[in-house]
Amino acid sequence: MDIELGQARQTFMTESAELLEEMENVLLSLEKNPGDADTINSLFRSAHTIKGASGILGMETVEKFTHLVENLLSNVRDGAFTLTSATIELLLECRDHTKTLIELAASDAAVPALTEIKEAGLTERLSALLVKKEEVPEKRAVKGPVTDTPESGRLSSTDAWHISLRFGPDVLRSGMDPASFISYLGKLGEIISISTLFDSIPGVEDMDPETCYLGFEIDFKSDFDKKAIEGVFEFVREDCMIAILPPHSRVESYVDLIRDLPEDTVLLGEILVKGGALTKTELDEALSLQKSSEAASDGSKRLIGEIFVTEGMVQSDIVDAALEKQKKTQETRSKEARTIRVDADKLDGLINLVGELVIASANIDQQAQRVKDAWLLESASSMLRLVEEIRDTSMKIRMVPIGETFSRFNRVVRDISRDTGKEIALEIKGGETELDKTVVEKISDPLMHIVRNAADHGIEKAEARASAGKPVIGTIRLNAFHDAGSITIEITDDGRGLNKKRILEKAIGQGLLAPGQQYSDSEIFRVIFEPGFSTAESVTKLSGRGVGMDVVKRNIEALRGSVDVESVEGSGTVVRIRLPLTLAIIDGFRVGVAGSSYVIPLDMVVECVELPESEREGNRSSYINLRGEVLPYVRLKRYFGLEGKDARYENIIIVRYGSAKIGLVVDELFGEVQTVIKSLSKAYKEIKGISGATIMGNGEVALILDIPRLIEAVERAAA
Amino acid sequence: MAKTIMVIDDSASIRQVVNLTLKKAGYDVIEACDGQDAISKLQGQKINLMICDVNMPNMDGISFLKNVKTNTSYRFTPVIMLTTESQENKKQEGKMAGAKAWVVKPFKPEQMLEAISKLIVP
Repeated sequence: MDIELGQARQTFMTESAELLEEMENVLLSLEKNPGDADTINSLFRSAHTIKGASGILGMETVEKFTHLVENLLSNVRDGAFTLTSATIELLLECRDHTKTLIELAASDAAVPALTEIKEAGLTERLSALLVKKEEVPEKRAVKGPVTDTPESGRLSSTDAWHISLRFGPDVLRSGMDPASFISYLGKLGEIISISTLFDSIPGVEDMDPETCYLGFEIDFKSDFDKKAIEGVFEFVREDCMIAILPPHSRVESYVDLIRDLPEDTVLLGEILVKGGALTKTELDEALSLQKSSEAASDGSKRLIGEIFVTEGMVQSDIVDAALEKQKKTQETRSKEARTIRVDADKLDGLINLVGELVIASANIDQQAQRVKDAWLLESASSMLRLVEEIRDTSMKIRMVPIGETFSRFNRVVRDISRDTGKEIALEIKGGETELDKTVVEKISDPLMHIVRNAADHGIEKAEARASAGKPVIGTIRLNAFHDAGSITIEITDDGRGLNKKRILEKAIGQGLLAPGQQYSDSEIFRVIFEPGFSTAESVTKLSGRGVGMDVVKRNIEALRGSVDVESVEGSGTVVRIRLPLTLAIIDGFRVGVAGSSYVIPLDMVVECVELPESEREGNRSSYINLRGEVLPYVRLKRYFGLEGKDARYENIIIVRYGSAKIGLVVDELFGEVQTVIKSLSKAYKEIKGISGATIMGNGEVALILDIPRLIEAVERAAA
Repeated sequence: MAKTIMVIDDSASIRQVVNLTLKKAGYDVIEACDGQDAISKLQGQKINLMICDVNMPNMDGISFLKNVKTNTSYRFTPVIMLTTESQENKKQEGKMAGAKAWVVKPFKPEQMLEAISKLIVP
């Protein structure tokens, strides 16, 4: 700031001191005599002057604050607001605060915290009083090339803006000089050619020397955008006809720009304005043209896009691109409009009722079979089919894609990579896979934990990766897909992998595994899900406290899911979560064991075979040879410790979960049933192999087998 | 010959800043503190452009503008009106009175010079 401006500041100090003094007096007199219009006006003027002058002198703090005061006073002046003694009190405080701010600004001192707090309080009170939230004025784009694409800098001589200019008749009378605008235009670029149009100049006898008859056609080379060029004619815009057509090389960049716009408006004009191809003034002009043409030709509307083109505002190519964009946006919009938000409780209520309906219809079906009336059987079976459809449809209502949960991790991974200085990319696949809403909600936390682990422990620092010959940028992949009636979510990282040796040592140290035993990889890795287990040497903000993976496992199991880990040291880790499709109703396969019914989720049943005679006498789990495949099997009767004679012809049901398959030996096969899952009370939580219960059509209770746990138990016993 | 610009504003500091800016850009400047003062200073002077605040005591900017438009010597002189964004209704009033060029306060000196060069050929 130069000395002269310093002088201006000095003047401002004196001036503002006077104005503030005046404000104080006026406010005090208003307190006695509120509603005096002249006094209010002078109050407003004082605030206004301080604001204007401080702004020009670069005292931003003063300007910002007095702007609010001015707004309030302007409302008072316009009668939108009456002064109360409380407001006067506030204004006096504001006046004092302004004084402080001016003194601080004059000495170039920083605003102390106390003053800032005071200001925040005042600002809040002022804003509360301001009736209408004021809009931020649109800043005039001053200068600056629109695109930084290299080609826009080197335009060929034929490739120029074309400006058609017809000055209005009153331009001279308003004190405007057409030459000055054209000379100013020369500052924004190069005027390649200019031709003056004389057609509208009348004969000498009819000519009014005060009227402007001039028109120009200008070819103009410039890197400025349309808004800036239009800005040249800001002061004569309303009186003139101006058409500014961008050069041809710009058309493409406008088209690209329009294509990349966010899909938030369906108005053609707004799309073009956002893309920079059209200015706000042009749009208003076109809209009023449209209105007047509509009025003139009784109701038949001219298309706005047509107006843009015929009035020479935008090239047709750009309008086409905008139309395409408009169509696309409308499609997205209508898709959005096809969804409705429903209270989740209402939905749960519906699902519950559907569950009861399923049970009731199963009951009717059984009664019909008992009565053996052909008509009744027919109606019962068609009702059963309908109920099944209702069940499926209402279950689908609860299904939501997991993609939204996945994309939340973009931010998590970004933050971790920033905090740890690692470079990590997140890849998402299968986001469209649908899961029950409750499952999606509850899986979010465990997923977060696993992703954090992967980012914090899994992925190495860039140098380490480079020296290991891996790509410098680490990758975490999230993938979801359907697999045998369940949903699998995989979290894969290409980091350092789990250190099997250290896990084994630690596990033995903590007594989780026995020393000297041979363990498979998956058995060792399973240890990381044990409570309190951690191999991390240091605890970070993100992970390493040894709580977490056990919670992850518990949360997933609470959803009737399972989790396992695969890892290769040095090249990465895969955490695989399997979840049931839905929580409430499943298709089941009913079997009988020792006189009671059990239900196996149908998705997990592979096939049923008769138990070979050679296996009949075996009474503990062993193996069968199923078409060359060796499968472990278990007798459910033994497993649950039930009494009763083995049936004459025992059956073995092959069930599968993930990649594991086992056989379950049962006494009887009943076939498919619809199963409404009722959870068991906490007292039965510890029973391994049972995940819930269901009520059959005849009112009998059947237990639902927890196949993943059974498989785990059988595999462990077999090993 | 240097162009002459008249600055009419009741704030001495604004006048001073504008004055300095214009002088540096090579213009001659006449200052007036309100509409009445401006009219009294106009007498016969050659003025190329006027910069006029809207809100002033004694005679405000719009009354001044109306006055100038009836003055044969000055009715073709371009006038830049100074306004703040909170004065939209004033702006409408001013447009009715024939004010075409508006500059919003607070402005930067360069902005003022830009507006001037749109209106008069240097």
